[in-house]
Amino acid sequence: MFTEIKHTLRRMRGAIIGWGIGLFAYGLLMVSFYSSLEMMEGFIENLENYPPEMLAFFPNIMEIMTPQGYMDTYYFSYMTIILGIFAISACANLLVSDEEKGILDLLMAYPVSRSGFFWGRFAGFVIATASILLISWLGWLIPAGSSGLELSALEMLRPFLPLFVVLVLFGAMALLFSMLLPAARLATGLASGLLIVNFLLIGLANINPDLMPFFEFTPLYFYQGGAAIGGLDWGNLLGLAGISTLMVMLAWWRFQRREIRVGGEGGWKLPRLAILGKRS
Amino acid sequence: MNDKNVIEIRDLQKYYGKVHALRGVNLEVKGGELIGFLGPNGSGKTTTIRCMLDMIRPQEGTIRIFGFDPQVNPMQVHSRVGYLPGELNMEANMKVARALRYFTELRGNSVDWGYVKQLAERIELDLSKQIKNLSKGNKQKVGLVQALMHRPQLLLLDEPTSGLDPLMQQEVYHLLKEAKAEGTTIFFSSHIINEVESLADRVAIIRQGVIVEEAKPGTLVGIEVRRAHIRFKDIVDVSGLAQVEGVTLLSQDGGSTVTLRVEGELDNLIKALGNYPVSDMNLERQSLEEAFLAYYESPEKEEI
Repeated sequence: MFTEIKHTLRRMRGAIIGWGIGLFAYGLLMVSFYSSLEMMEGFIENLENYPPEMLAFFPNIMEIMTPQGYMDTYYFSYMTIILGIFAISACANLLVSDEEKGILDLLMAYPVSRSGFFWGRFAGFVIATASILLISWLGWLIPAGSSGLELSALEMLRPFLPLFVVLVLFGAMALLFSMLLPAARLATGLASGLLIVNFLLIGLANINPDLMPFFEFTPLYFYQGGAAIGGLDWGNLLGLAGISTLMVMLAWWRFQRREIRVGGEGGWKLPRLAILGKRS
Repeated sequence: MNDKNVIEIRDLQKYYGKVHALRGVNLEVKGGELIGFLGPNGSGKTTTIRCMLDMIRPQEGTIRIFGFDPQVNPMQVHSRVGYLPGELNMEANMKVARALRYFTELRGNSVDWGYVKQLAERIELDLSKQIKNLSKGNKQKVGLVQALMHRPQLLLLDEPTSGLDPLMQQEVYHLLKEAKAEGTTIFFSSHIINEVESLADRVAIIRQGVIVEEAKPGTLVGIEVRRAHIRFKDIVDVSGLAQVEGVTLLSQDGGSTVTLRVEGELDNLIKALGNYPVSDMNLERQSLEEAFLAYYESPEKEEI
C-alpha cells in the first residue's frame, strides 16, 4: 500500500505543484488587496446596490471588510467548485483510467492486494489534496501580518478543514461513480455536474426560499466556508466525513469484485444493478 | 519436470454477457513443464490466463495455481507468478528504469537489481529511455524483464515474442529455456506455430473456448495429417486409393503422379499401395500450423 501511496503522489506531483503555486500566488495577491479595501470609501454601499441575484452566491459579502467575510468571499465561497473539479477528476481517474489504458492488467498481477491498490491510491489523493490546501493556506498566512488581515494561523487554518472534507467527499463520489459507470469520463461528468448544480443551488436557494428544502439535502449546505474561522461545526464535518467514508467503502467493495477489463473482453457497458455485482 | 500440478483448471466457463468465451476448459500443467497454449484470436487464450490471475472471474469451474485458488488467495498466486500481458501497457511518462524500480517495489523490493540489469543487457533494453518513446518491440522487452526479474516459479506469458525481431525472439527463447532449466514452469500463449513447436514440451490447442487437443508438438505433427506424393511406373486408375479409409485424393497429374491427404496411420494406405506399381513416394509431414489449421477446418472437430 505504501508503494501505491508513493506512486500516486509521484503521479500527482504536477497537480500538487501547479495548483499549489497557483493558489499560493492567489493568496498573496488577495491578502495584499485587503488593506486597500479599507481605503475604498462607499464600497459596502456600492455592494448593496448590486442585484440580489449576483449577491446570492456570496452570502457573506456584506461582511467583506472583516477578515472572515473577506476570506469567505474571495476564497472559500467558490474554491469548492474550482478545487472540486480537481478532486473529481483525480478520483474518477484514480483506478479506472489505468484500467482503460490497459495498465491495470499488468499491475494487478503483482502481489499487492486489490485493497492495497485501492487504499494506497486513495490515500495518495487525500495527501495530495491536503498538500495543495496547506500550500494555499501558507499563501494567506505568510503575508497576513503585514496587511491587516488579523487572524491567527489556527483561525486561518480552520476553514481549510471543511473545504478539505468537501473535496474528499466529491472525490469519493467520483471514485464511486467510476466503479459503477462504464468510463472514467462519465464518472467525471456526472460528479462535476452534481457539484455545479449544488453550487448553483446555493445562490438560487438564497433568492428563492422554495428551493431551500432541496439545498438542505446537498453536501454544500453543510459546508461552513469562511464561517469556520470563528469555530468549526464538528457535527457537519463529521457528517460529511461519514458520507465520504461510506462512498469510499462502497467504491472499495465494488473494486474488490470488479473484473479488470481489457479491450475486446466486453463488460464496458453500463452494468445492470452494478452495485449488486457478485463475486462469482 | 515433477509430478506436482502447478496449474489445475477444471471445467472453466466464462461468459462476457451473451458471449460464451470459455466453454469448459480443462488443463493440468506439471511443475517445470513448458507448455504452449495455441489458438487463434478470440479462442480464449487470454481469458484463460486472466482467470488464472483473478483479473476476471469465471462463472463456473475451478482453478488452482500451486494449489491456491486465485480468487481466494490472489497474493499467494501473484507472488509466485511472472506475467506478461498480451497487450502490454505501462505509464508513458516514466523512464524504463523508474518503471522497473516501481515493479520491484510492488514485489516488496525482493528483486535483485543486478539481475534486472543483466536481463536488460541481454535483450538490449535501454533503461534510460522514456516508456512513451519506446517502440512496440522495446516495450515488449520491458514486459519480459518485469516478468522474469524475480525468477518466478511460474511464468504466464501471453504472446511473449510479439513485436520482437527474429534475433530477439531467439534470445527470448534462450531466456525461457534457461528459466525452465532452473525449474520454472512456463505457460505461454502464442499463435506462432514455429515458436510453440521449437519451445514447448507440450501443446494445448484451444478453440472456441474449449481445449481440443493436448499433445507433444511432435505427436501433433505426426499423427494428424500427412501429404503423400506418389509416382507410379505407369498410368494407373487411382480411384481405388481414394476409397481407402482416411485417404483423400488431392490431385492427379496425368495419371502417373498423385497427391493424397492421409489422416491418421499409414497402414491402410501402404497395404493398398501393394496393388500398385509404385515408383516413388514422398511423405510430407505437416507442420504444426497445418495440424492447427486442420482443427479449425475439420467439421468433425468442431463438435469436440
